[in-house]
Parts: sequence; C-alpha cells; structure tokens
Amino acid sequence: MNDVLAAVLEALAVLTYVALNAFVLIWLERKIAGHIQRRIGPLRVGGPGGSLQSLADGIKLFSKEDFRPGGRDGIIWWLAPLVSMTPAVMVFIAIPFGQHLIIHDMNIGLIYITSITSFGLLGVFMAGWGSNNKYSLLGAMRAGAQLFSYEIPAILSTIGVVLAAGSLSLETIVAKQSAHWFLFPQILGFIVFYVAILAETNRTPFDLAEAESELVGGYFTEYSGIRWAMFPFAEYGTLFTGCALATTLFLGGWHGPLFLPGWVWFLIKTYILVFIAMWIRWTLPRVRIDQLMDLGWKFLIPLSLINILGTGAYIALVR
Amino acid sequence: MASTSTTAGEQAPGLQSQLMTLNLGPQHPSTHGVLRVVVTLDGEEVVEAQPDIGYLHRNFEKIVEGWALPGVVPFSDRNDYLAAIANEVCVCDAIETLGEVELPDRAKWLRVLFAELQRIISHELWYGAFGMDLGAFTPFLYGFRDRETGYLLMEKATGARMLYAYNRIGGLRNDVTDAWLKELEGYLDFMEKQAFPEYMKLLIENEIFVMRTKGTGQLTREQAIAWGASGPVLRSTGLPWDLRKKRPYLVYDQLEFDVPTGTNGDNYDRAMVRMLEIKESIKIIRQVLRRLPDGPVLAKARAAVRPRVGEYYARQESPRGEVGVHLVSNGRPNAYRLKWRAPTFSHLQLVPLMCRGVKMADMIANLGSLDIVMGEVDR
Amino acid sequence: MSLPRTVWNTVKSLVVGHAVTAREIATRPITVFYPEEKPEFPTGSRSVPVLKVNEESGYINCTSCGLCERTCPPGCIEITQAVDPATNKKKPWPHLYTLDLSHCMVCNLCVEACPFDALEMLDVPELATYQVQDLKFHKEQLLDLWKTGKAIRIAEGQPMPSK
Ligand code: SF4
Ligand code: SF4
Repeated sequence: MNDVLAAVLEALAVLTYVALNAFVLIWLERKIAGHIQRRIGPLRVGGPGGSLQSLADGIKLFSKEDFRPGGRDGIIWWLAPLVSMTPAVMVFIAIPFGQHLIIHDMNIGLIYITSITSFGLLGVFMAGWGSNNKYSLLGAMRAGAQLFSYEIPAILSTIGVVLAAGSLSLETIVAKQSAHWFLFPQILGFIVFYVAILAETNRTPFDLAEAESELVGGYFTEYSGIRWAMFPFAEYGTLFTGCALATTLFLGGWHGPLFLPGWVWFLIKTYILVFIAMWIRWTLPRVRIDQLMDLGWKFLIPLSLINILGTGAYIALVR
Repeated sequence: MASTSTTAGEQAPGLQSQLMTLNLGPQHPSTHGVLRVVVTLDGEEVVEAQPDIGYLHRNFEKIVEGWALPGVVPFSDRNDYLAAIANEVCVCDAIETLGEVELPDRAKWLRVLFAELQRIISHELWYGAFGMDLGAFTPFLYGFRDRETGYLLMEKATGARMLYAYNRIGGLRNDVTDAWLKELEGYLDFMEKQAFPEYMKLLIENEIFVMRTKGTGQLTREQAIAWGASGPVLRSTGLPWDLRKKRPYLVYDQLEFDVPTGTNGDNYDRAMVRMLEIKESIKIIRQVLRRLPDGPVLAKARAAVRPRVGEYYARQESPRGEVGVHLVSNGRPNAYRLKWRAPTFSHLQLVPLMCRGVKMADMIANLGSLDIVMGEVDR
Repeated sequence: MSLPRTVWNTVKSLVVGHAVTAREIATRPITVFYPEEKPEFPTGSRSVPVLKVNEESGYINCTSCGLCERTCPPGCIEITQAVDPATNKKKPWPHLYTLDLSHCMVCNLCVEACPFDALEMLDVPELATYQVQDLKFHKEQLLDLWKTGKAIRIAEGQPMPSK
C-alpha cells in the first residue's frame, strides 16, 4: 500500500513539475524572442511581464474545438500526442536534481534515459502518419531521419563520461565530479551532446520537422486545441531534460562553488543551457536535410569517437 | 496515376514508390502573398514545380483604360506595393512623354531620391523575408524595424506609408522640407553604420546561410536572358545590365554609382547583389542631397493632360528589375491601352526551371530569392 | 578550403551572429503598446477625405459643383444637389454627399480638385468596421469625422508642414 501511495505521489510531483516547467519555458522563450527582436513579448496577462500568459493560453487551448481531420488514421492520430508526451515526462524520474533528490536512482540511469527519449520519435511519426496530410507526412519523415541520426552521436558522446566516471548511475556520475567537472576533459563530448540535443528537440537550426516556412506546421499541422498543446509540451519537456542531462553529465550536476543548496545550482546550470538553446534558435537559419545528415554522420559521430578514443587512452595510460 | 519513382533501381523488389503532388499555397507561410505552386515531390526532392498565378488579379490594365490618366498614377501603386514609387515614376514618365510635359529640375532629383529610398526599403523587406524562408525569424523583424523607420520618413514627406500617391503628372505633389532632408541623412547614417553591418553579420555572412545558398537555384546568363529576367536576378549572373546606367532616365546620368554583379547566379549571389545595392542607393541619395536644386516641384502647364496620339514604352529599374509601361494613346484623356511589364512576372516563370530536382527546402529558398510580389504578377 | 579553416569560419560566423542578437537583447524595445499608447502620425498623414465646416460662416464650403465626383478615379463620391422644393431651383449646396471609403484609395485627388476648399484630408486611420456598408459615409458623418482629427489640406507643391 505504501509503495502505491509513494508511486502516486511521485507521479504527481513529476507531472506538476513538468507542467510548471513547460509553462515557464514557453513564457521564457516568448520573452527572449521578443527582446531579441526588439519587442516585448507577452505583456498583458498576469503579473510582471505577462507571466501568466502560458496559463491563459492553456485555458484557451482546453476550450477550443476538438478538430479532427477527415481521413485520419483514427487510433494512431489519437494516440500520437500521448505517445510523444509520455517519454518527456518519464525521463524526469531518473534525473538527479540534487544529492538524494532523485525519484529513482537506477544503476543504469543513463541507458534508461536514452532509451526512453527515443520513444518520442514514435509519437512524432504516428502524428505524421495518422494525420493524412502531406505536410505532416513530410515532417514526420524528416523527424525520423533526423532523430535517428542524432540519437547516435548523443549516446556516443556520453560514453566518454561513463568511462571517466566508471558508472552508468547518474548520481554516481555527479558525485564523481565533486573535484572537477567533466566539461573540460570532455569538451568535445559536451559540444556533440549539446548539438545533438538541439537536433533531437527539433529546434532551429535543426527544426526541419516543423519547418514553418516549408511545411506549415510539420508533423502537427493537423492538431489543434489541447492535442496540439501536448507537442510543444513534450518539446519543452525534452529540451529541459536534455539540458538537465548535459548539466548532470558535464557540468557537475548539483555541485557549485557557493553554499547554495545543490538543487539551486542544478537548476541554474540547466536554465542557462536552456537559455543558450533559445538564443541559438532566434539567431540562426535552418539547415537543409542533407546538410543535417552530413553534420550528424560525417562530423558529430567522428568527433564523439575521437572523444571516446582520447578518454580511453588517457584512462589506460594514467591508471 | 503517378509513375513509379525515378530511383526505382535502388528499391527492393516488390516495393513501389509514388510521386506526391503537393499544393503549396495559396495559403502557405512562405509563398509571398497568394501564389500557388503545384509541386510534384519524390520524397524530399522536387520533380516539378509549376506556379499558378491569378489569385490577386484586379484587372488593373482594363480598369485604367476607363480612367482619366491622372488617376492611373495612384492606382499603379497597388501593382508592386513594396516599391510603389517605382511604379508611379514609370507611369508618370510614360504620360509625361506623350503629353509633352516638361519636368522641373527639382522634381527630377527628388524622384531619384525617393526611388532610391524605396529601393532601400524594399531590399530591407526582402532581406527579412528571405531570412524567414531559410528559417531565421529574427532577421525578418530587424528588416521590418528599419523599414518602419523608412516608412515613417516616407509618411512625413508624402502622407502615406506604403501607397504614396505622391507623384503627379508633371512632378511631385509636395515639396520636402530641409528638416526632412536632415532626418533622411540621419536614417542613411543609421543604415550604413548600424543596420547594414548587422544584416551582414546576422545572416549573410553566417556559415549556415552560405551553405544553404551557395550553389542553389543556379541560373546561367543565357537562361536569365532567355526568360526575360532583369534586375538583381539578371545581374547576379554577371551581366551588369542596369537601366539606370544603360538607359539613363531622370538624372541618373549625372550620378556616380556602381552596379553590383554576381558571378554564379545562385541564391547567394542574388542576396549579395541586393545587399550591395542598398549601399549603392545610400551613395546615390547622398549625392542627391548634396546637389538638390531649388525650385518648384510641379510643372505649371499640366492641367488637363492630353497625350498626343502615339505610343511610348517607358521603363525603369525598380528594386525587382525592369518595370515597364507601354502606353498607347489615341489623344483622349484616358489611355487606349496600357500594358504593364512586371519584372517578377518573368522571374516567376523561372521557378520550374530552377526547382527541378532540388530539395523541398531549396525550392522555398529559390522562390524567396526571386523576390516575387504577387500584386505585380497578377495585376 | 581546408577543414580547420571551414570549422574556424563557421564558429566565427556563429559567434558573430550571436553577438548581434545579444546586443539587441540589451537595447530597448521599439514597439508601442497600441491601444493604450497611440503612435503619433505625422502631419499630413492621410486616412479619409472629409467635408469641412467654414469657421466664419459656420456652413460647409461645398457648392455641389461635382468636380470631386468627376475626378475621383474609382468613383466613390456621389453627390445630389439640393433643390428648393417651392421653386424647384437648384441650390448651391449638396443635399446628399456620400463617400464610399471601401473603394477610396486615399489618393488626395478629390481634395486637390475641389475649387472651394471644401474637402480636407483627415489623419485618423482607425475607421475599421465589421460591415462594409458602414464604410459609406454620409454628409453628416463626414462632418463629424472632420471634428475628430486634425484634417488639413496641403497646397500643391508646398512642403508637408512638420509638427
Ligand atoms: S481620395 Fe481619391 S479615391 Fe478617395 S474619394 Fe478622393 S479622389 Fe476618390
Ligand atoms: S469639388 Fe468641392 S465644392 Fe465641388 S462638389 Fe466636391 S467638395 Fe463640393
């Protein structure tokens, strides 16, 4: 009985945090975009700087007509938003926000996260296939190719860290970084990982799957209302978890020079990474699909292999 | 039925792939107005792209046949609504030539000034829209920001932001004040010192931009000439054909400026030519500011223009290319026939040629690099 | 180009681009909070031609000569001259004066054509309605509109007055 209660409480905590986090990130993104473009962004709803705008949008999306495209593939179309949102939520379980501030410390935490995030692709693909829309289909095809080829460098780039830490458990990896972060010995790995995160979360310069100027809305063209909202929700969730993972693996997790609580350090680092991702999004143009593939296969994968090689050689020689 | 794919050789036996027909537009984020392109796709690759026009047709040429000629000038603003001054000046030129109206000196210089200011504003918008086509949203708003300042200047001088109705047969409706000229100089300084370097750094010099545009949408000089291209599209292929130099009108023969050209005729060269044209326009306006003569801006003997019997083809270099007005008059106060030559109408016909076999994303970029204004294409 | 050079160029151009946006974040926004804060329109900004009331006589200047009606290219002005019912004689003022703003291209030609200084150009552009018919303004409405803004008539060939 206690186990069930704990599980429910954990699930609730995660869901609340994910929802709050998505709201904050969406608001933040619009604010940052606004200020970069000499605008103000959200302004009117709620407290300072229109901070309740996302909530208002959420309410609006809930009350919208549930539009369904004709000729859709019923169950696939219906399931797709859920399938793409679930992994975004599930990943939160394994992220160490602070020392012992982790819902489940698995000894295979890293593998759990990488395997769960790959599921997101399935939702995207289902959305594209089920919508019976050519734009959606093209978007889904692009997403498929893109996520598949960026999953590999993302995983390869973490191997250096695993080698250095000697563990797959995220808590152990962070604990190993108490003296120095893995950022500098693993700078190649960090760069590859960060670029791969950008690609996996479909953000400019890699937002080919939803390329507005080409594919209108990409794979979620045919969704509206709350079903549509689940896709950005998942996207921002993945962005956050990606950055959180980068913090955990390379930036020393909860370790920080000042005497702030560990989870504050963790959040600061993560949100800085998120901010950089947003900054990049509002600066760069989009790459083309073949250039994206080139970058992934011909550049990032060799780089991460070099990284593994270097780390391995170092460990073999020094120890 | 669509045929099997062109890459049939690579497929596993029994698998069949089909071509897909996609209607891009008329409501699509990047068709620059209401253009429809019927695209046949083989996966990501464009097999054929066929532009379909006419969604913005307003019957301009027929309507103006029934109007007295002074009314044609403000209506012509609506053709290329992003470069209204170029239209006005061109149609005024045709009417003035047939009506034998002599332009005052100041009017000539001011027309040059406004045409060049309009070129800057138009290229700013193009810069933003092209950035948007390539997926960068921020350049769009930077372009808009500076364009808005330019439009405010225009509004102060002419009374309207986009559709100025500023030229009259025989000159300009209003004079400009010295204070306005000062303000214009400030705008040029801002463009030169701050905005232009920013444009270059943010988008044009960006490696991703270069990667995306170099070698795509390539046109040879022969193709460009054969399809009637003009303006930056023609100049990007290396031919320095600029009506301001080759057939000087107004006072362009007294001004010093270069004609930027490209070498490859690809999207990158077209972008570069347009960016350099902003610089040249700034140079021209500075010369005009220095040499602007005093005097009236509106000719006296212009009331009740009656063009003589005959025909005349006036043409000028608009930001998009050669805009031309063929005016046929039978001596009545309205035109017997007025044919409008729109540069982007010819450019749009290049789309099938440029887009065969390219990726979907490049097709959008090609379309954007031609700088198409549907108001002018459909008329 | 060699690979290191390409990489170096790419990295440099990316950094330079981000520096531009970073600088813009720090500068003040340029937008105006529209309904609360109205932008100032330059003098002479045109939105709709309106009938003017003569300050001295207190009547409108229009004599119903019909010149504006004939000049207007799209033909959006319609005038009916006033008639004295007793004598059946025409009176020098309009009985009806309708301007269809939905056709008007705000070209200023009618204002220029009027020989009696009866028309002026208004500078209030907020005239949007939900119905096209509501854009048909009658004489009285045009006079009311005249009072809402700073309508002016700029003599031909003269500079736009600055604020
Ligand atoms: S502004 Fe032009 S279109 Fe409008 S009523 Fe006057 S003449 Fe006609
Ligand atoms: S031209 Fe002037 S006076 Fe004549 S009808 Fe029009 S408004 Fe009235």
